[in-house]
Amino acid sequence: MSARHESILNHARSRYFWVALALSLASIVAYVWHAPDVGPNGGTWLGYTLGTIAALLIVWLMLFGVRKRSYSGAGGTLRGWLSAHVYLGTSLILIALLHCGFQFGWNLHTFCLVLMLVVIFSGFFGVYSYLRYPTLMTRNRESATRAAMLEEIGELDQNALALADGIDPKIHAIVLRSIQNTRLGGGVFSQLSARDDSDAALASVRAAIAARETQAKATTNPQSGQTIFAMVDFLASGANDRQTEALRKLIDLLSQKKAIATRVARDIQYQAVMEIWLYVHVPLSFGLLAALIGHVVSVFFYW
Amino acid sequence: MRWLIRRVLKQGKGAVSYEEDVHFGDTLTIGRAADQAIFLSDLRAALNHARVSAESGGRYKVESLILAGIRVNGQLTYGIDVGPGATIEIAGTRLVLLDPPRDFDAAVEISTLDKTEQAAEKAKRSKPTTLSQTWIGKRVPSWLLFATILALGLVLPALSHFSAPLAKLLAHSPLPTTRSWNPGPLDAAHRFFGDDCKQCHPRAFLTVRDESCLACHSTIAAHADPGAFNLPALGEARCASCHQDHLGPAGMVRTDQRLCGDCHTNLPARTQNASRLGDATDFGTNHPPFRVRLPAWDANGAFAPQVAVPAAGTRENSGLKFNHEKHLKPDLNTPKGKQTLVCASCHKPDAGGLAMKPIAFETMCHDCHTLGFDTFAPDREVPHAKVAEVSFMLDEFYARRALEGGVEDREAPGFVQTRRRPGDPPLSRQEQTEALAWARDKARKVADSVFTGRACVTCHTVTPPAADRGYRIAPVRVAGVWYDTARFSHNKHETMSCKDCHAAATSPVASDLLIPDIANCRQCHAGARGGGKVASTCIDCHAYHQSTTLKLKTL
Repeated sequence: MSARHESILNHARSRYFWVALALSLASIVAYVWHAPDVGPNGGTWLGYTLGTIAALLIVWLMLFGVRKRSYSGAGGTLRGWLSAHVYLGTSLILIALLHCGFQFGWNLHTFCLVLMLVVIFSGFFGVYSYLRYPTLMTRNRESATRAAMLEEIGELDQNALALADGIDPKIHAIVLRSIQNTRLGGGVFSQLSARDDSDAALASVRAAIAARETQAKATTNPQSGQTIFAMVDFLASGANDRQTEALRKLIDLLSQKKAIATRVARDIQYQAVMEIWLYVHVPLSFGLLAALIGHVVSVFFYW
Repeated sequence: MRWLIRRVLKQGKGAVSYEEDVHFGDTLTIGRAADQAIFLSDLRAALNHARVSAESGGRYKVESLILAGIRVNGQLTYGIDVGPGATIEIAGTRLVLLDPPRDFDAAVEISTLDKTEQAAEKAKRSKPTTLSQTWIGKRVPSWLLFATILALGLVLPALSHFSAPLAKLLAHSPLPTTRSWNPGPLDAAHRFFGDDCKQCHPRAFLTVRDESCLACHSTIAAHADPGAFNLPALGEARCASCHQDHLGPAGMVRTDQRLCGDCHTNLPARTQNASRLGDATDFGTNHPPFRVRLPAWDANGAFAPQVAVPAAGTRENSGLKFNHEKHLKPDLNTPKGKQTLVCASCHKPDAGGLAMKPIAFETMCHDCHTLGFDTFAPDREVPHAKVAEVSFMLDEFYARRALEGGVEDREAPGFVQTRRRPGDPPLSRQEQTEALAWARDKARKVADSVFTGRACVTCHTVTPPAADRGYRIAPVRVAGVWYDTARFSHNKHETMSCKDCHAAATSPVASDLLIPDIANCRQCHAGARGGGKVASTCIDCHAYHQSTTLKLKTL
């Protein structure tokens, strides 16, 4: 094992890079040498040959989804398969373009090509995210696990409640509200946008609170939608020293919690980004398979 | 107002006991303060957390007293109107509002959630943290896309091939038809029926048959008779072998010389001498010498050209006497003064540009070569016509002169020479007979002179009369199509000068063959590769559908 980290791109001394390169070069040479009198197209013998290679490649590339699910390890390591998947999938762009002889139109055939290109380029994003996000995730977690971070948030919440209870029922209610509003994860877009919702709901209930708390003197501050600002308001409104000290501690605790919550949200975001492309890549590749079947059958239907 | 408060006490091994209490008051307060009707010790509860008040009809009003709100039936709320059975959750305690039993106005059941129940509640409320827990998936969209694309891209159009009503329906809908399979634009001539693929592709999974093409192209000529030439390539050739649509002009008519050259190699051996054509695979390097159609006439006088490869001594028998060299000299003396003739003075291309118009005596030769026959009548000429017409005209001319009198000819009878005046007695029967005899004699002499001495013989070969016939003028054929199987177009060679190909300026006799040979063409033209010359493939000069007797449709 070499000292250098082996990734999907340099697996087995980039074996599949060279395979894909050889395949591409062979296709280019054949294409240039062939030069049929009617112009290069999918209907010449080279067109059929490249088309057959491209179709078999697509089917083989889709078999990666099957190989991924099997743990038997048949036919090489999963990393080897992925490396080959990436490189041969990339060479497919060239082979398909040479197959069609750069003829495009508003038809099923070009639709198939476009679908194939979208699938491949979504795969490029996947390669990018697999190479980039694991590092970012590790750095973001700072050697903790997500479960440990969530547990820490829970403990901080308990401590904050205990502290707040010693200060004032109003502060206690605010902290309680803050705990309830700390929402990590959520829908697809919440996960992708790394929102942790820890204080966001506060502003929306301000009007209701103002109506209920008739004795509240604190003037509304545009920033006081955040728990911390709400407590600073309270500090400014005057309290005794012991309470002030406890409040400072509470603010510390909540800031700490906020930092961890942000990291968890980012962790969720990284994982979501690393997965989201597959939700495009996989369904579109099945669409591509259908378009490919349509392309091949229709071509021979009206031979 | 009487409230029934029932506490559920959990004991070991799942056993449960109840403790009931009565509370008097309009509202039921819940919180961590000591004065609350329902006291909760958990820190997650506020001092005055919530308030429940009973309303008419057995309903309850639940209000949160803090901004964190309370969870009623799993939903966070600040105030809600609920019926019996509603569940309130605060800080690990569950309150179920009940239908009040007899003697009570309201009832509530309180139970404490143990750790596993709390964890389950929390898990139920926690939001998804991975995409696989959200609504998006891969399996359903994959199947949907697969099925939709297969149905719209393949199945529906394919079914419309077999069902005319479906094809009509699809054509009037935004759904894809078989047109979506069209791999490339059709040739302009085919576009008017191009929406109907079945016009050319009547049967699925079969290549386009010749019958489909011949349905419209019914008069197209065959190449050669496959029965006469035992060549598989000839019999197996399909229209689509050379004409592929959907590929633009390059595919519509194949122009590559390989297509012809593959077959036109060693033809005599391959056809058991049925074909005697030489090898032709590349115009520049491998092409037989040109054959020309030399003018000739059969026994009946019909034009029957002889096709031959010109050799060094090959003469052209056009039937005309003509000296190109003399006519092309500058400043010729003509009746109209000095004139310089050029090729185009006599050789004018026909409207199609392929060949030259026939030479016309009246417009091209007559200015200099007049057909006068009598010095006493210098403005009279014989017609440029058949021998009989010339003789007839001379007979008439001299008969009239003889009967009129006043002929200046010493050999004529005296009364013919005498000019007759008005009032003179008419010629007697005897005189008339003598005058006409002289006229006939004179006409014959003049005809002899015209045919053999002065006019006709200048350009034509004249055979003197024999016992059974009169003068004979040899037939003439100057302009025409010279090459046997190729098409040469003067039109396309306009940039050239005539003398570049025809050595007319040094040709003293018309029997010089002035038609160029292949070496002349090869000065500019080469095969498909061209090199430094004009790249020329077979169909630049030859046609494939060239049979004059066979139609493709009848093969």
